[in-house]
Amino acid sequence: MIRVENLSKRYGKMTAVHSLNFDVRKGTVFGFVGENGAGKTTTLSILSTLMLPTSGRAYINGMEVTTEPGLVRRQIGFLPDEFGVYDDLSVREYLAFYGTAYGVEPALIDKRAAELLHLVNLEDRSEVLVNSLSRGMKQRLGLARSLMHDPPVLILDEPASGLDPRSRIEMREIIKGLREQGKTVLISSHILPELADMCDEIGIIQRGTLVACASVEVVNARVSGKRHFLLEVMSEGHRLAELLSRKSKVTEILKVDENKVEFIFAGSEADQVELIHELAMGGFQLKTFQELGGSLEELFLRLTAEEDAKAELIPKMA
Amino acid sequence: MQELGNRWTGKWINPLLRKELRQRMRSGRTILALSLYLFVIGAVAFVYMYVNVQGQTLILQPARTAELFTFLSYLQLALVSFVTPGIASGVISGERERQTLSVLLTTPLSPITIIFTKFISSISFLLLLIIMTLPLYSIVFLFGGVLPSQVLAVFGLQVVTLGAIAGISIFFSTLLRRTGWSTVFSYATVAILFMGFAIFGYLFDSVGLHSADESVWMHLAGICYALDPIYMQAGIETNLGLLSPSFNQSIVSSVFDVVNSHSLSGKESWLFFLAVYILIGVILLLISAWRLRPGSLTMVRKRVIRWMAH
Repeated sequence: MIRVENLSKRYGKMTAVHSLNFDVRKGTVFGFVGENGAGKTTTLSILSTLMLPTSGRAYINGMEVTTEPGLVRRQIGFLPDEFGVYDDLSVREYLAFYGTAYGVEPALIDKRAAELLHLVNLEDRSEVLVNSLSRGMKQRLGLARSLMHDPPVLILDEPASGLDPRSRIEMREIIKGLREQGKTVLISSHILPELADMCDEIGIIQRGTLVACASVEVVNARVSGKRHFLLEVMSEGHRLAELLSRKSKVTEILKVDENKVEFIFAGSEADQVELIHELAMGGFQLKTFQELGGSLEELFLRLTAEEDAKAELIPKMA
Repeated sequence: MQELGNRWTGKWINPLLRKELRQRMRSGRTILALSLYLFVIGAVAFVYMYVNVQGQTLILQPARTAELFTFLSYLQLALVSFVTPGIASGVISGERERQTLSVLLTTPLSPITIIFTKFISSISFLLLLIIMTLPLYSIVFLFGGVLPSQVLAVFGLQVVTLGAIAGISIFFSTLLRRTGWSTVFSYATVAILFMGFAIFGYLFDSVGLHSADESVWMHLAGICYALDPIYMQAGIETNLGLLSPSFNQSIVSSVFDVVNSHSLSGKESWLFFLAVYILIGVILLLISAWRLRPGSLTMVRKRVIRWMAH
């Protein structure tokens, strides 16, 4: 449904996106993960026909975004990361305006608006002015707006950013519902555990390059081999670190102080139980034994750290 | 009834224009601006009439009525030229600042539709301002001395002038990211149209007086004056017999002298003014529509690089 081939975008000498390649299958949710400035918004802007790539091609439902932008616009619903609304319009008028702009039959507009307001839980707000809505409500209204012409593809740039936890959960449930309706969704976010919950596949972008692209199951399997733990003790943190460093399943000691040790553990759950038992028998007064971060976050941090290290090496080698 | 109205407007008016008109007429500022505009024009007309009629037995004085009409039409030209950049210089940059432009550009509405709709929406408000003053002008008809066709000719010139100013303002609004800067540049351009051309005309006239090629300098001065809405309105009013030195005011006399010495009351000047102003407006709107297209600058850059490589 969405195909990106060797897509690059340069601003002068700065490369924002470098030779991106990925596919999003019909009816799936693809999570696009990356730090600020990694190139997510640039990629989504190109796919939404708001920007031209420097090179490469991108297709939405078989249509090329640079040569057939008019047709592509009818195929997509786009929700930018930051967007405004027309304050002087009511919620219903706002949706009706976009419905008419997309050429929805006038007779169907009210019905469609009512259905979407029900979908995003705003049906009781249809007559209030848009400027009286909270940020979370405006975000949901934006999603309803992007669905007014019933597009097969949705491009959502950080739809949950700046929302409170309740609104995030609501947004997540709506997106899951859209997947069930057969929509193809490309969503970018920083909130990795949320993406894991609603995405079928994820792509991790770092400095404009896609460093990983796989199904969520594959990603989780890749990560489960190495986990990040925090151990808190009453005292003797340094002696604990020394003991851990001698263990074969402990691959790396990340941080040490008198009361805390952070380390990477490559063992199974049975190995983990054995380690805790050994530490307790060794006389350590354990306060906490905690696994840190979601699995996707782990992979993200590891991959982006590897890319950072490569980027640092390049000038040294040159 | 409202549904019938919605259906009619939905069929004949594009959705963006419908939204723009709805938003504009809903705003409290619009009502305030309309009221203030009418109040200023009305107050000036009544004060002028009161001062002139007071203590006189003969109320019907066609020359005085023509004077009042000329005075009102200049006041209207000044007010409309002042209001136009205020309305049009934020139409695109305002969308950008409110972060609504990116979403608008992902709709099937083409950039040319967006730009021309914004233009029509701005112009329709300005036309409303002009049409609203018609009852005040009817007072002028009441006392005689001015024909409706003369009023229409002067209004025609004003509509073309404000159309060009709206085009210039929308151009700056598309080109510049901030409404503040767009407004500054639009007002600066209006100042050039109204005062810059007059100053250049005066300078060319002065140089011509001491030059062997007086006719060349006079011709250049004539072009400058013919591009200045103040002088062109004077030219039309002279042609219609509304403006004459009998006004006995030095500023009117000097304008009248320029109009006569450069034949600004002729049809050629009027057509030249119309052609230039309409062309400027249309060209700037087309450039704005092109500039609104994603990647317009990238395309130019690529073409320049390709051209330089050849």
